[in-house]
Amino acid sequence: MPSLSGATETGPATRVAVADDDVLLREGLASLFDRSGFEVVGQAGDGTELLNLVRSTRPELAVIDIRMPPRHSTEGLEAAQVIRQELPDTAIVLLSAHIEVEEAMELLAGGERLGYLLKSRVTDVAEFIGTIRTIVAGGSVVDPSLVQELVRARRRRDPLDALSPREREVLALMAEGASNAGIAERIFVSEGTVEKHVRSILIKLDLPESGSDHRRVLAVLRFLEAR
Amino acid sequence: MSDDEFRALAEEQSALRRVAMLVAHGVPPGEVFAAVTEEVARLFSVVYAGLGRYQPDGTVTAVAGSGKRGDEIRVGQRFELGGRNINTLVFETGRAARIDSYGGTSGPLSAVARQYELGSGVGTPVIVEGRLWGLMGIYTTLEEPLPADAEVRLASFTELLATAIANAESRAALAQLAEEQAALRRVATLVARGVPPEEVFAAVIEEVGRLLPVDLANMCRYEPDGTITFVATWGKGSERFPVGSRWPLGGENLGTLVFETGRPVRIDSYADASGPLSATARGRGLRSAVATPIIVDGHLWGMMGAGTSLEEPLPPDIEPRLASLTELVAMAIGNAESRAELQASRARIVAAGDEIRRQIERDLHDGSQQQLVSLMLELRAAEATEQCEQCELQVHLERTQQGLAGVLDALRETARGIHPVILSKAGLGPAFKALARRSALPVELDLRAERRLPEPVEVAAYYVVSEALTNATKHAQASVVTVELDAQDSILQLVIRDDGLGGADPAQGSGLVGLADRIEALGGHLEINSPAGRGTSLSIEIPVESPNLA
Repeated sequence: MPSLSGATETGPATRVAVADDDVLLREGLASLFDRSGFEVVGQAGDGTELLNLVRSTRPELAVIDIRMPPRHSTEGLEAAQVIRQELPDTAIVLLSAHIEVEEAMELLAGGERLGYLLKSRVTDVAEFIGTIRTIVAGGSVVDPSLVQELVRARRRRDPLDALSPREREVLALMAEGASNAGIAERIFVSEGTVEKHVRSILIKLDLPESGSDHRRVLAVLRFLEAR
Repeated sequence: MSDDEFRALAEEQSALRRVAMLVAHGVPPGEVFAAVTEEVARLFSVVYAGLGRYQPDGTVTAVAGSGKRGDEIRVGQRFELGGRNINTLVFETGRAARIDSYGGTSGPLSAVARQYELGSGVGTPVIVEGRLWGLMGIYTTLEEPLPADAEVRLASFTELLATAIANAESRAALAQLAEEQAALRRVATLVARGVPPEEVFAAVIEEVGRLLPVDLANMCRYEPDGTITFVATWGKGSERFPVGSRWPLGGENLGTLVFETGRPVRIDSYADASGPLSATARGRGLRSAVATPIIVDGHLWGMMGAGTSLEEPLPPDIEPRLASLTELVAMAIGNAESRAELQASRARIVAAGDEIRRQIERDLHDGSQQQLVSLMLELRAAEATEQCEQCELQVHLERTQQGLAGVLDALRETARGIHPVILSKAGLGPAFKALARRSALPVELDLRAERRLPEPVEVAAYYVVSEALTNATKHAQASVVTVELDAQDSILQLVIRDDGLGGADPAQGSGLVGLADRIEALGGHLEINSPAGRGTSLSIEIPVESPNLA
């Protein structure tokens, strides 16, 4: 059972900035983080406020709604890109009402410590906090709904047909950003078994072996999107 | 009867018979005229036998002449009537006239007679269907007086002439009528086919130039700024006004007069005309011209004008003939205008619908969904305050949250169906890929469209593919669908094929009817081909540079 605490066993609580134009939701998120042992350094209602907040408080994590005023388009995404440039160590989690593969890939191309999640994920508190911790620790996470859609998409001559059902399951978790250890935990097998599955998948799909979990996510997404 | 008298009578009879044969055979009037004057000059042994035609402006024109003086009086020459002479007497009385001595004659014509040394003369009227058309005259020198029965004998020839003229005129009228009807039919066909007005304009002006005895024909449109634009012209070489050229109104000219009166206008002499338009018209050799207004839906749209550089004024029936063609032009313009309005209004309705869908999508995502997420967070917070894992409340809360999670998923799907955000964000390529991923059937995409297209075009193409995929999945029992998109040129081309049952009937309610409407509103069209057993294919073409998208 992963710890629900935002604080590591030894260090202080993770400092987080929350940006969403919906006050009710923003307050709900802040209170959720607060309850889960994070330190909320401030809240923002649009991209400009967020940038000011992040520049002045230097949080470890920014949780950002993609659609914010004034255009209600991709203001959150744009703010995230600025933060990534100015303060690359800040982990970023983008929340969206809907998830698109193009956006996911564009985001992931920006580097590690990134999350792209459906807004509704926050309601499963334990899972959400776990994901946040993975991201703060250096991982990248893509919403499972997008990965499911990519894996389930039907193709006439599908390279995925070569995979066993278990391997497909592992592939999907890889795409979501889970580490081998994380996958082992999720499907109740040993990490060694997961490693074997992963190697087999990489060979069958002709995917590059990659050290970082983040690059692994990007490679798998690219493969799934292009297949 | 003496032998001479008998011979003269026989000659006269055979001359009349020859002329009658010509008339019966319907040879052109010009030939009959020449033949008659020749026969008459020989029969009466006169120095000159001439045929003249009375003109509305009080002159007489020589149309044929024969005899010793025949070469001196040129065909087409005009003479002023007036004074005491044969031509004027016949004109004034409508009956035969005789002058035995030119001594007491007067007026311009008698001067001519004296110049040609004519002494005495007899003229008989040519009366065609009750109206005085002209006269036939025979003239001698002073030494040779004309016989007393000359008038009577000449009358037999003028009667034949009148018949020939009447025949020719009715034949010409018939031919003209037939030609005009054919021209009207050609133009009407163009109008009915809904070809662009510019094509109709060009066709009409061509017909005007061909049908009417004119050198120059123009079609013009009145502009709100008090100018006139030439939209179609016909004429020989440099005499034409350039199409698209604009001229200021003002002065005494066809364009301005029609504009001011809203009625047909005639200018018989450009000498008195004024304003920039008439100066140019005069410069192009125009002498007389007529114009009729083009009235579209009760308002003056423009005018059609035609003119000649000949001295002779245009015939009086030219206005109604021009007007019948003008009416067709007005109809073509009216049709085109209502079609354009209809098209624009359809496009507006579709665009308004799309805007509402976009609004609903936003409301669902940013409003309802967000509120649900907030409520669920509230529940989570409430849950966190109660630390009893097994109590009844906890179970209820958990169940409520599961229900709400289901509602959220459903809401997201609904919002996506209402308006695909990915389409506005990233264009057709990514949007088609997303549709393909979510399709229950394998979809093969062949996309040649890197650039973004006008939003209504993208939305229409998206819905067509979406609907086609749904149909292929639900009804066609297909195993694969291919989508080919080519939007590199000015026309978007989209073909969607499946390998299913075929036999799809677009009339059977499916969403395709609505889509066809949407596509036609953009000036495009949708074609369904679904032979039983051989799959269904949908072909769509939408112009990308349509003016209605602006």
